[in-house]
Amino acid sequence: MNAKGAVLSADEGMDRAVIEWLKEALKREIFDAVLIPVETPAEDAFAYLLIQNPAILDRASPLPPVMPVQGGKAIGRLTMRGHLNDRVAAVVRPCEARAAIELTKLKQAHLTNLVLITLDCPGVLPLSDYLEDPAAGAARFAEAAAQGDRSPMRPTCQICHRFSLAQAPGADLHIGILRNGDGAAVIVPGSAEGERILEKMEMTEGDEGTRLVAQMLERWSAQVEEVVDAQLERRRQAHAEVQAAVAGADRLLDTFSSCINCHNCQRVCPVCYCRQCYFESTALKLPPDNYLARAASKGALRFAPDTLLFHLGRASHMALSCVSCGACEDACPMDIPVGQVFSLLADRAQDALGYVAGRSLEDPLPLVAYEMEELHDVEQPYIEIYHEQEVQDA
Amino acid sequence: MPEGATSSAFTPKGLRTNQGADETVRQLLRSLLERGDVEAVLALGRTGTGEEGVAYSLFADPDAFAPDGDARPLLPFMPANGGGLLSRLTLGGALVRPVAAVIRPCELRAFIELMKLNQGSLDNVFLISFTCGGVYPLETAVDGGLDEGMRGYWQGMEQGELDAAVRPTCRACQSFIPERADITVALFGEEHLDRQCTLYLNTERGAAFAQGLEGTAVTGGAEHAAIERSRGERDAFREELFAGVDGGMRGLIQTFGRCIGCHACKTVCPICYCQLCHFDSPDCEREPGYYEAELRRKGGLRVPPDTVFFQLGRMSHIALSCVGCGMCTDVCPADIPVSTIFSKVAASAQATFDYKPGRDLEEEIPLRTFREEEFAQVAT
Repeated sequence: MNAKGAVLSADEGMDRAVIEWLKEALKREIFDAVLIPVETPAEDAFAYLLIQNPAILDRASPLPPVMPVQGGKAIGRLTMRGHLNDRVAAVVRPCEARAAIELTKLKQAHLTNLVLITLDCPGVLPLSDYLEDPAAGAARFAEAAAQGDRSPMRPTCQICHRFSLAQAPGADLHIGILRNGDGAAVIVPGSAEGERILEKMEMTEGDEGTRLVAQMLERWSAQVEEVVDAQLERRRQAHAEVQAAVAGADRLLDTFSSCINCHNCQRVCPVCYCRQCYFESTALKLPPDNYLARAASKGALRFAPDTLLFHLGRASHMALSCVSCGACEDACPMDIPVGQVFSLLADRAQDALGYVAGRSLEDPLPLVAYEMEELHDVEQPYIEIYHEQEVQDA
Repeated sequence: MPEGATSSAFTPKGLRTNQGADETVRQLLRSLLERGDVEAVLALGRTGTGEEGVAYSLFADPDAFAPDGDARPLLPFMPANGGGLLSRLTLGGALVRPVAAVIRPCELRAFIELMKLNQGSLDNVFLISFTCGGVYPLETAVDGGLDEGMRGYWQGMEQGELDAAVRPTCRACQSFIPERADITVALFGEEHLDRQCTLYLNTERGAAFAQGLEGTAVTGGAEHAAIERSRGERDAFREELFAGVDGGMRGLIQTFGRCIGCHACKTVCPICYCQLCHFDSPDCEREPGYYEAELRRKGGLRVPPDTVFFQLGRMSHIALSCVGCGMCTDVCPADIPVSTIFSKVAASAQATFDYKPGRDLEEEIPLRTFREEEFAQVAT
């Protein structure tokens, strides 16, 4: 019996192991190219690069300390208009893979020929913290990641429980790096495609190896489970605090009172799917009389208007697909805890409909999948309540 | 001639009140609303129930300008460029009745540039501006930090000294005396701002609107020795700031290497005039085959692409009209000194054409004015 997975020995560090594995896969022509974060020449940022040249791949960072661009968005950019013909391995964090899956359901990404490879994610630092001193930030990240300490990470990372394959099973391959105590990681298939890739890499081993792999897999799974439980508890507590801080109209207004309407949360959100945001459209470029009448009736009109409405509108659009990545909060110039608020809303909305954003391509988006009786639910009260009255009135 | 422009028959006047600057401005705005001279006032104010939120609002209720009202017209903060907001207000049509706006010189200049770009209307916009001591970066307002700086700010204003914590672009600003305002409130380098305030009534309408204010006539203008000295200091800082920009292709790539492509700089820029940015348009949503071909050519390809190209495109569009307000730097999640770079390029582009954005509504944006001999140059 084959253990589901293989061992990736990491004597020269985990990054090196992943890079060498990818280079080998390129050599074997399992992939034509790799999409992976690479440090920029100024050594103060990371960007996704699509790489064919193995020499460039040497500079890759499979788990960089920050997430300047959400990988789901990068995948969306590449495949918005259709699927790739090249076979591309995308090495992303679990929340990025989940965003790519949501975008695919929204027809704004195409995953054919794209292999999603995720890693156990320790979180990422807030971009502004890292940029204060990139070298120190990288060191702080490495240390915290090694110790499983999420306190310096983005607030949404601190409470993330979908950092591994079990809670984010959409990846084709997943690299389990939670400490096994023996300088090695496991590489686990999440799909039939992932299994085929491992076979092509000849990473299915003999009996002796299989026993070892099975042991490592078991240890890794147990450890993931333990961290998931702890994270779930943190998430519950943090969400209770967020809820206490934002519940009610006044508190909600206060939370967003310093918003400057830059809409950067929307811009960097991987799943904000409208091609043109209503709040940026000509529909809201109104004649001055409209603004002045609203100012007169209320005494004052915040200008530009509709600040809170924008956030509510955005929430109603993307709460079901929100992967709680925290990109919005990173991009907010006013440090509004927008990622934390949205992650709370997302959990509530997704729980209500038994949906997990990015879990699987097979789960239909709740708001586009109607069942017959649901249409009935909407229709029936109308007939019962209003129709008769309308007939009488006529 | 558009309303608000100085008519030749009118002689500008100065008026010194016996109240502090904040009180004077509040009283002026309150009386404008009470008398019905204006329908609303665009000014900064507190938002929400806490003390953190600051936003521009259209105030219609005069009580907003009572001493304990929500308005904070002189707060040294710029949550959005007011010029852009006035454009938004009048994009759907000219104002029929007057609206007053209290905005900074760079916001006023942005509005004038937008008028030249046909993005709004100056009609019935009554402009109140002031000699400017700069604004604090947006991040200062997080966690109530704005109030802490306030006392030092106003002391500095009286002494004609800029607070070192204001936006770098403010410390480098050469255009901190408003041009073209109906009323200029003298703040920078003025003594006793807590108990007196000098207003310069630059237009007939400005003089008419200030009628209710009591005070003594003063002569001269907003310029004085402290302003001249500060201009020198700001020039020196500007050179220092510009010298810190890494030039050349290498500098460009290194500096914008950490750009995350969010385009927030474009979103908050009052000048960025395209209704649909090329880089946000379907033209830049390419078929996968395009990326694959690029990949074959280069071996590696940044995704999303066009990071530096976006910056260069934006620069070529706005350099001549850039007013150096600094919004772009403040909103950049990657802490790129966008405004410094753009200001440096803008300075040389504007010098080439001897053009100063927002100086004069009648002065055409250079790229929109062609001379016949220029066509000949292109043809040969």
